[in-house]
Amino acid sequence: MIEISHVSKSFRRKSALNNVSLNIPKGKITGLLGPNGAGKTTLIRLMNLMYFPDDGYLKFNGQLLKKEHLKNIGYLPEERGLYPDLSVQEQLTFFARLRGLSNAEATSSANYWIEKLEMKAWRNKEIESLSKGMAQKVQFAVAIVHDPEFLILDEPLTGFDPMNIDLIKRLLFEFKDAGKTILLSTHNMQRVQDMCSHVVLLNKGEVVSASSIGDLFKDYVSNHFVVRYKGTGIAFANALWTDFELVNQLELSDGITEARLLKRGEKSVDDLIKNLQGNVAIEAVHMEQPNLEDIFIGLIEKLENE
Amino acid sequence: MNSILLISWKEIKQRVFKRSYTLVLVLGPIFILTCFYLLVKAADEGKKNVHVLIADPGDILRGVISSKEDPNLRYSFVSDYLEIDEFSKGKPYQEFDALLEVNEKVLNNKKVFIFYRDYLSNRIQNSIRFTFERRIEEVLIDEFSDLTVDDFRQLKQPLNLDFRSITNPTNSNDGEAGWVGYFFGSIIILFTLFYGMSILRGVAREKANRVVEVMVSIVSPTQLMMGKIIGVGAAALLQLVVSLVLIVCGLYLFQEFLFSDFFLNQSLSGVQVSEGATELLQNEFQRVRNNDVIHLLYDRINLALMLPFFFLFFLVAYIFYGAFFSLIGAAMGSEGDGQVLILPLVLLLLFSLFAGYFMVLNPSSQFSSICQYIPFTAPMAVMVKLSMGYALGEGYLLWISFLILLLSAFVILAIAGKVFQSSLLSFGHRLSLKSLFRWRTRV
Repeated sequence: MIEISHVSKSFRRKSALNNVSLNIPKGKITGLLGPNGAGKTTLIRLMNLMYFPDDGYLKFNGQLLKKEHLKNIGYLPEERGLYPDLSVQEQLTFFARLRGLSNAEATSSANYWIEKLEMKAWRNKEIESLSKGMAQKVQFAVAIVHDPEFLILDEPLTGFDPMNIDLIKRLLFEFKDAGKTILLSTHNMQRVQDMCSHVVLLNKGEVVSASSIGDLFKDYVSNHFVVRYKGTGIAFANALWTDFELVNQLELSDGITEARLLKRGEKSVDDLIKNLQGNVAIEAVHMEQPNLEDIFIGLIEKLENE
Repeated sequence: MNSILLISWKEIKQRVFKRSYTLVLVLGPIFILTCFYLLVKAADEGKKNVHVLIADPGDILRGVISSKEDPNLRYSFVSDYLEIDEFSKGKPYQEFDALLEVNEKVLNNKKVFIFYRDYLSNRIQNSIRFTFERRIEEVLIDEFSDLTVDDFRQLKQPLNLDFRSITNPTNSNDGEAGWVGYFFGSIIILFTLFYGMSILRGVAREKANRVVEVMVSIVSPTQLMMGKIIGVGAAALLQLVVSLVLIVCGLYLFQEFLFSDFFLNQSLSGVQVSEGATELLQNEFQRVRNNDVIHLLYDRINLALMLPFFFLFFLVAYIFYGAFFSLIGAAMGSEGDGQVLILPLVLLLLFSLFAGYFMVLNPSSQFSSICQYIPFTAPMAVMVKLSMGYALGEGYLLWISFLILLLSAFVILAIAGKVFQSSLLSFGHRLSLKSLFRWRTRV
């Protein structure tokens, strides 16, 4: 869908992006992650032709990204901005028309999204008179009112209550199912893990990782085990020997404890079970799955140590 | 182009459909017409229906003052001297508003007094003065010459020695007409300032509430800037046109219904003249009547010439200055930023007003000539020049001024477009001249 090839961008000799290459796959939700100042906003602005690369190029559906393609892109910036003295209806119609829809199409699409996003009662209200959450909904509608193929959403769920978060998430999955491509920039790792099939990690203007979530997790196997046992803590600790390190443990109910262990060397679950058998009664044991946050922090730390 | 029109239309709607705009649209012309009315009325304050008693002991006027009746002026005669005290307090004289004392030697000493009870309006004073002077003229002719009244008045015309520049031989230092140009130039400058500031505030507000980020993800910054300039300009133009139409209609109605007695033909009624002398008398009356405001507005403005050039220069001057205002708005880091650059621009506009004032007083000076080629002062300078009249064969100078202004507007638009593009997504900085130059060169 979007191909970014060897793109570099600097501002007054300060590099914002350095030789960035990646692909945003069609029909998927891709998470864009990175610490502050990593170059996410610059990358997003390049995709919207708000900036032009110093080097490299961007392609949209195999063609060099041009102004005409902007009609097929929807953008929700992190810093929300609407015309405060236009009504919800006027706002949506105006932006739809700017994106190339005819007056009739724009009005019809605006009406559709006003109903879909449950904003009928606010149709003729000016933006400045709306609550923050309602204005967020209008902002979201502005990004999708022209039915774009590619959606760039920067922190799209910030400022919504749980009900509306659910509504927007459902909509995003509907878009994905309809074959639309979504780039989701956020600091909320759990949300990326829940919603995205692909992830791009940027740091200091460079791509640290760009892969599917599955591949990312496959590459980062955890060294932690979780054991639920019945018995004394002393017997459990003695059974670990030097093969495993007890990180922490928590008594769940009378006599049942859950412990988190860090393996040392090339020890396996079988080794752990062998060590524990005869000392405590094992209720459950599993390898702890790493979360995206751990991977993110691990990757950044690794880079900084190099 | 479609995007520019859409943005322009939004800007127009945002302004035109506001209650404040409609109020200014209606109240502005009403205010100007009221000021004009008050100005005229202030010059015409005093009693308007007057009965004058002429004390003519020598029967100089032979019981005649004018051949026709003036509805506002009545004359009666007594053939004896009348003491002021007697006129003031005497019961038979209370119906008279003024006493015109014609002494027996008036044909020699040319001295006449008129004593009034309440102050007489300027128009009434002028009318009495004019009528009396004409009557005395007729008596003088009758007494001392064999000439006809018409011949006498032809001879009496003063010699008009008119000083004119060899560079401008067809026109003189017509200060009065110059003020008309100054008025038109001032409208250009004031509207440009007012609506230029509106562009600046609009851009700064959109930067502050970050809608600009959504906008430039759809349209180019140059399109956004052009849309804004055109939209705000159209709102300004609409206001200007409606205001001018209302003012012109108002002036017409004033002429027809309120100030009808100020106009020449009616005012000449009652004076004993032949047809041939009417023109001379009109000039004479014009000289003595004391209402320059009416004269300036109704007699001296060549609207057919002024208006097309006024609109042409208004549009180009607005684009020229509007581009400056929009680039400052785009370069501002916050809504309150930018004073450092607004001030010089406002000073330039004020300088333009000063330049126009100077030109009216010194139209042939080198400064005046230079001003019409400087884009900042050209709109004002050309309006003043135009109202005074270009010398024969020098009309092309007007087009040179226009071309310079037009080219400058294009150059500033191009620079503003670059600054707009580079600076629009920069927030939170302090605006400086240095940053403007940096943005001008950054792509």
